[in-house]
Amino acid sequence: MNLYKYASPATFYPLAGKIIPWFQIPAALLFATGLFVGFIIAPPDFQQGDAYRIIFIHVPAAWMGMFLYVLMAIYAGIGWAFNARLASMMASSLAVTGAMFTALSLITGALWGKPTWGTWWVWDARMTSTLILMFLYIGFISLQASIEDPRRADRAGAVLALVGVINVPIIYFSVQWWNTLHQGATIRILQKPTIRGSMLAALLIMLAACWFYSVAVVLIRLRCIILEREQNASRFAEVGV
Amino acid sequence: MNWPDLSLGGYGFYVWGSYLVSLIAIVWEVVSLKQRKKALTQQQSSNSVRASVVRGSVNETTS
Repeated sequence: MNLYKYASPATFYPLAGKIIPWFQIPAALLFATGLFVGFIIAPPDFQQGDAYRIIFIHVPAAWMGMFLYVLMAIYAGIGWAFNARLASMMASSLAVTGAMFTALSLITGALWGKPTWGTWWVWDARMTSTLILMFLYIGFISLQASIEDPRRADRAGAVLALVGVINVPIIYFSVQWWNTLHQGATIRILQKPTIRGSMLAALLIMLAACWFYSVAVVLIRLRCIILEREQNASRFAEVGV
Repeated sequence: MNWPDLSLGGYGFYVWGSYLVSLIAIVWEVVSLKQRKKALTQQQSSNSVRASVVRGSVNETTS
């Protein structure tokens, strides 16, 4: 089987249509399970009471915001370096969902900060760098929207996305590098997590739900982008004739 | 199992507010994508009608 043929938008379009339901349905089930475990099974936190339950949406949203940015930069880079149209379209599609998750992490963070820290917002390293991530997403989307020729828009977006990727490790390590108000990581790759099993389970299920959801909506948007660009191309072809 | 009370110990506004905002964001994204898709398929069907009309007229002139 020649996998490279799926690098073409026209052949990837029907494949994406087949993949989408495999992510849509599990996303809905995982969201329902995650909320059930997070609200019904997990006990209140001994320090933060029930306020900590914001973690189940705040942390997955923040992770997805960062992860989708890196993915967007990689796709934009591939699209630029190898002149691969589909990769650039994927980057444009990822940007909107990534921006949505970053906005959610900022809003839910503010809603968590108010009862636990007594303030909606502080110019703390992690929050400021996350706000910069939000601006990078907005910059990427508006830069692409402002350039009429799609391939030129892809290239300009790729430069911005690749330069901005430096911000992601800054966000991730900000709680270690600086003395921030934001709490440190609860889950670490090499060490035991510092929360109870049921809390961790709810968090991981919600993360999986956000991941499945992202794949589904990104592919749906990608299909729209493919159609839009093909239509524009055929319209230009008509004018040319 | 422990059913929490809906006020969530006084944190209800913040916790439910977070989930409400998230729900709105997800619904917004899904609905706007549905509309975008619908507009595209409508445009596509009108394009194909136009294309067939154009093709028809071309055929008429050539035959």
